[in-house]
Amino acid sequence: MAKAQKGQTRVITGNAVGAYGAMLCRPEVVAAYPITPQSELAEQLAQFVSNGVLDAEYVEVEGENSAMNVALAASVAGARAFTATSSYGLVFMYDALQEASGFRTPVVMVNANRETPGIHAVSSGQQDMISARDTGWVQIIVENDQEILDQIIIAFRLAEDYNIQLPVMVNYDGFYLSYLAEAVEIPNIEDVDAFLAPLKKQPGRQKLVPGVSIGCGTHGMEMGYVEARYKHCQALERAKNKVDEIDKAFGDYFGRYYHGQIEEYRTDDADIIIVASGSATGTVRTVIDTKREAGIKVGLVKLRLFRPFPAERLIKALKGKKAIGVIDRSLCFGWKYGPICMELRALSPEIGPTPILSYIDGLANLDITVPHIGRVIDEVGAAAQGKPYQEVTWIPMEE
Amino acid sequence: MVEGTKKRNRVFDYFCIEDQFAGGVAWCAGCPLELTARFVPQVLGKNMIFVGTPGCAAPVLHGQNIGAWHKLAYLASVMTGVPSKATGLSRYYNRIGLDATVVCFTGDGCATDVGFQPLSGAAERREKIIYLAYDNEGYMNTGNQRSSATPLGAATTTTPVGKIGRGKVTISKNMPLVMLMHRPTYMATATLSHLEDFAKKLQKAKEKAKEGFVYLHVFSPCPVGWRINSNMTIEVCRTAVRTNYFPLWEAEEGKPRFTVEVANPKPITEFTKLMRKFSHLKEDGLAELQKAVDERYALIKSLCDANK
Repeated sequence: MAKAQKGQTRVITGNAVGAYGAMLCRPEVVAAYPITPQSELAEQLAQFVSNGVLDAEYVEVEGENSAMNVALAASVAGARAFTATSSYGLVFMYDALQEASGFRTPVVMVNANRETPGIHAVSSGQQDMISARDTGWVQIIVENDQEILDQIIIAFRLAEDYNIQLPVMVNYDGFYLSYLAEAVEIPNIEDVDAFLAPLKKQPGRQKLVPGVSIGCGTHGMEMGYVEARYKHCQALERAKNKVDEIDKAFGDYFGRYYHGQIEEYRTDDADIIIVASGSATGTVRTVIDTKREAGIKVGLVKLRLFRPFPAERLIKALKGKKAIGVIDRSLCFGWKYGPICMELRALSPEIGPTPILSYIDGLANLDITVPHIGRVIDEVGAAAQGKPYQEVTWIPMEE
Repeated sequence: MVEGTKKRNRVFDYFCIEDQFAGGVAWCAGCPLELTARFVPQVLGKNMIFVGTPGCAAPVLHGQNIGAWHKLAYLASVMTGVPSKATGLSRYYNRIGLDATVVCFTGDGCATDVGFQPLSGAAERREKIIYLAYDNEGYMNTGNQRSSATPLGAATTTTPVGKIGRGKVTISKNMPLVMLMHRPTYMATATLSHLEDFAKKLQKAKEKAKEGFVYLHVFSPCPVGWRINSNMTIEVCRTAVRTNYFPLWEAEEGKPRFTVEVANPKPITEFTKLMRKFSHLKEDGLAELQKAVDERYALIKSLCDANK
């Protein structure tokens, strides 16, 4: 495959980028309901349709639950479908999220991460995405505006792959990225067409059409249920390598690589590793560079794929390291570690007897600052030297 | 006799497409839902797709009992997503030029309670779908619990009659009127005792759904929950019409009119005596129910009269 033409560079917000990313993939049905901090994306897509830039059925639904239901049903009928939400919106479509994955619909959704119900918070945090962990979706976390756009394109290629056929959620930090204007290269739509074209060469997926004796959402009786669930889990397992594969193809064509399931930064010779995700990883890199100058061998593992959990690649990256610090921007109620840390600790037998320190930071728009990360690296470094350490630290509560 | 034969032929002219359901399906004996489900495709044709929910229709529509099933395409949904799923289907079918009649087929619980928001939304957006609510006045599949469609005074398992409880204490949600206020392209009430009326409405529904939203409210007595003999359900439908308990009317483009007018409506006791869900009601309770029926009828009549 040849290389893509140079795209147009524009300085736009993460939400606008999300709309561009979706538009470039030519979804046929778009359903969206506005919610802070995603609303601009819904507006921009509506404007694209109004201007004739995007030829799609745009359904201005009366709620997020309907947004997901419209998208998944259109997908069942054979459409390429897109939606976007955040926070309470994601919670409100919880039942439909499970149908979308259970029906094996390749819906792509953008979720602008925001705190979720309980305490009303119009602020960033990954709690929404974490709370949708067990809905059977593929969940990708991105770091910056360019990655939002590129991941939406990758998400469609992943979701619609004949061997995957799963819905994909692209998560970016609300407020931090949704309203952050950055220079972004917008690919030419013909090049996006070309990148998605391999999907057309695959066998067509099963579609629900009238006049044919076929149903969707059938009662899963006993083994029928088990078999469908088994296949769903197998597809999620396959998605891990597929993410790496598509990422490579994307990089070869567009010139931007994201390293698939996880990105490793200065990990090769590192003694200690910081695991982080989302917009905070940029700050982590900066602090790592500073600490490296002071002789501390620290590296970063940026978690890009949350579901399916990239166990194999994490084990490879973390095995033999002297200590690990995990920064979580959400909570795992009833379990003291942060959710990503908790998942990571499940790999302890494979990683080895390494101290794993859990840090809760960046809830409700509290910044994950340079001093915070400096402190994390210092503490993880001390743990690596065998000093006593605190298993879980709520950084904002101690500042 | 001659006239009778002629009438019979006309009815069967409407139901001219082969039955899409097998014999021996897993619905209760005497349930009008089965006949409704069978008749709808016989009028609308095979290019229809049912979007349904867990409910009385589900065991047959969604393949729980696959020993005796149907031949139609269907999409099963949880109760909160039916009209939205129908929207997704119909938008895409229309976009690609596929001839399809998308029919939401739910009970009153889904339509009036838990699934009301997306129904109202789809009606407001004038989605090109038919929403058929079979109204058995409660959650019958889960064991006769009350819904918003349960009438005043009715005994259900969640409005039980006891030392204090006297059945449901509020009147039912007037769902056909609620839907009229959305000004659908077409809407109608129907029931199986008036089969030709029902068939004509289904034909209109199919045509009008090409332009926009269609709502059909089908009265569907539940022999089990209402405690009716299984051979009496059609008679209950007929009596509901003749007492003005369930008036038959329709509205094209928001203009309501009666399709069946009852010259001398019978008292509500003619209806209530056919079932046991009202059997605890004394004279005052029955009078209250009569008042509710009269009020509701008067309101619809005034709307129909205003439109004459």
